Amino acid sequence: MINFNSIDDVLNFAIAEEQAAIDLYTLLAEKAVNPAVRKTFEDFIQEETRHRDKLSQMKEGKKFTLQPSEVQEMKISDYTLTIKPSPDMTYADALLYAMNKEKAAFKLYTHLAARTAAPELKKIFLLLAQEESNHKLHFEIEYDDHVLNED
Amino acid sequence: MDESLIITETERNQEWRAELRKNLKNKDRTAIPRVKMPEVDPQIRNKSFIEVNDGLSEDIAIREAQRCLDCVDPTCISGCPVGINIPKFIKKIESKDFAEAIKTLKETNVLPAVCGRVCPQEVQCEKQCFYTQKLKKQPVAIGYLERFAADYERKNGLASTPEISESNGIKVAVVGSGPAGLTCACDLAKMGYDVTVFEALHEIGGVLKYGIPEFRLPNEIIDFEINQLKKIGIKFIPNFIVGKTISFDDLKAQGFVSFFVGSGAGLPNFMNIPGENFVGIFSSNEYLTRVNLMGAAKPDYDTPVISGKNVAVIGGGNTAIDSVRTAKRLGAERAMIIYRRSKEEMPARVEEVKHAEEEGIEFFMLSNPIQYFADEKGRVKQMKIQKMILGEPDASGRRRPVPQEGSEYIVDVDTVVVSVGVSPNPLIAQVLKDINISKWGTIVVDENKMQSSIEDIFAGGDIVRGGATVILAMGDGRKASVAMHEYIQQKVKQNIK
Repeated sequence: MINFNSIDDVLNFAIAEEQAAIDLYTLLAEKAVNPAVRKTFEDFIQEETRHRDKLSQMKEGKKFTLQPSEVQEMKISDYTLTIKPSPDMTYADALLYAMNKEKAAFKLYTHLAARTAAPELKKIFLLLAQEESNHKLHFEIEYDDHVLNED
Repeated sequence: MDESLIITETERNQEWRAELRKNLKNKDRTAIPRVKMPEVDPQIRNKSFIEVNDGLSEDIAIREAQRCLDCVDPTCISGCPVGINIPKFIKKIESKDFAEAIKTLKETNVLPAVCGRVCPQEVQCEKQCFYTQKLKKQPVAIGYLERFAADYERKNGLASTPEISESNGIKVAVVGSGPAGLTCACDLAKMGYDVTVFEALHEIGGVLKYGIPEFRLPNEIIDFEINQLKKIGIKFIPNFIVGKTISFDDLKAQGFVSFFVGSGAGLPNFMNIPGENFVGIFSSNEYLTRVNLMGAAKPDYDTPVISGKNVAVIGGGNTAIDSVRTAKRLGAERAMIIYRRSKEEMPARVEEVKHAEEEGIEFFMLSNPIQYFADEKGRVKQMKIQKMILGEPDASGRRRPVPQEGSEYIVDVDTVVVSVGVSPNPLIAQVLKDINISKWGTIVVDENKMQSSIEDIFAGGDIVRGGATVILAMGDGRKASVAMHEYIQQKVKQNIK
């Protein structure tokens, strides 16, 4: 069971999660057969690095810039199967994998927010969940535009 | 001024054109209603593969040609990816000179009978027509007239082969015999090159043959056009997969100096939802190829598709509409389109949707399959559909489909055809390690030359675009042929030095 007693605990956890994602995408980039898919994973690494740095800045006392807002949900990851990463993944596979990963992170933060009584921690968890939801939507739009293109 | 515009204007000033314009006032021309394409009765055609559209008679074609105002600035040409001299061929029809009409078409379009049938003129040339743009009336039926001229040529034995330059003996290869490959091959042959087209399937024509059903584009039309190309010396080799049967290097060793890759997008996309691997669930590529090319609808062939009674086709594009209408013709009692967005967003041509509705196709709009269920033998028997709503427009202005929680329902199906897009065949990327490929698997080219990162390899059509219209693929083939010629000439000059 994870225990969170302070905002720093929450942020340390979130930073570690982002670092784990960076490490995973680095591994996938190294193994990817298709150079363009490798580049995609490298882009994911940059994106996750930005998230990690943003959280680190928060921890250092800088202002948290996220504003609560409703994120449109396409929920593609709700009905698609989970993809197992492999060296010969296509870009579409990489998108499915990434959106499922973001969904899992969203669920985690939402769950933690629900379990937390402290209002300031709850707020941080909800904002983190919103951030993950935004990332998921980004991948879903890309998938919607280029994979489910109907013709 | 652009050279082609000067030519167009000079031609417009010729006596015969001026005379035509004088004979009928613009007021009278614009009063003529747009022609309606004669069609086979929906209840007859939905049980057979006969062509749906009958084509125009001479009198009707001439009447429609009279609607064209022979504009000073013919904006319609700008809407054609291969730049057909549209007013000229239409005015040739008006003056009953049908042979000259087809000759005009063939100056820039190697497949007019095909384009007259399957090009989306409503978003290309006809969209740019003066009637559409300024008069807010229905445009001149440019596509119908194109088809008329091409059919007239074929039916009346007027077919003429294009003029070709003296042979230069230089061998070039075209990989894939779809619209991009055929156009490139024809243009190169006209320049005097020794052209060989390699085709992976047993029939020539690529997506025109395997992807478009006979009721929309009869195979005999394609074969006729291909025979014209054979007559100018183009060699066609079927059942030959460049990269597998033989490598690019082997072809180079055989003397081929440059290549055009138009191998299309033959890799179907699936939705990756539970149950999608059950028996009875096809990709539209497989379903249509089996019927169009492998005689699956004929009882005496060895590779049938089961004629499902409840057939669901997933998607809203032309391929989905082709698939569902094929299912109806194979005997489906319920042939259904399942589409995530609303009718307004369907990428399929309006004419094809109208035909499908007339033929008894059911449309489930704002509906998305999320799971399939099978019987004890693993054969699909039901699908779970979720209702969607369209969300607010996002930054791109597009309204995204959003699932409605709790709206799921079950539909009985015994055949499902998934038609949610295609991707390029990965073979080229696998065998040409140095070629620059996008994340979508398409070949990256210089857009002006269609030249890939490997200097002697050019590419166009769906392998570059990922999925496009016949005419855009043809435009790529044309552009590539010019660039290949320049590339080869430079290479020859370097070798002489």
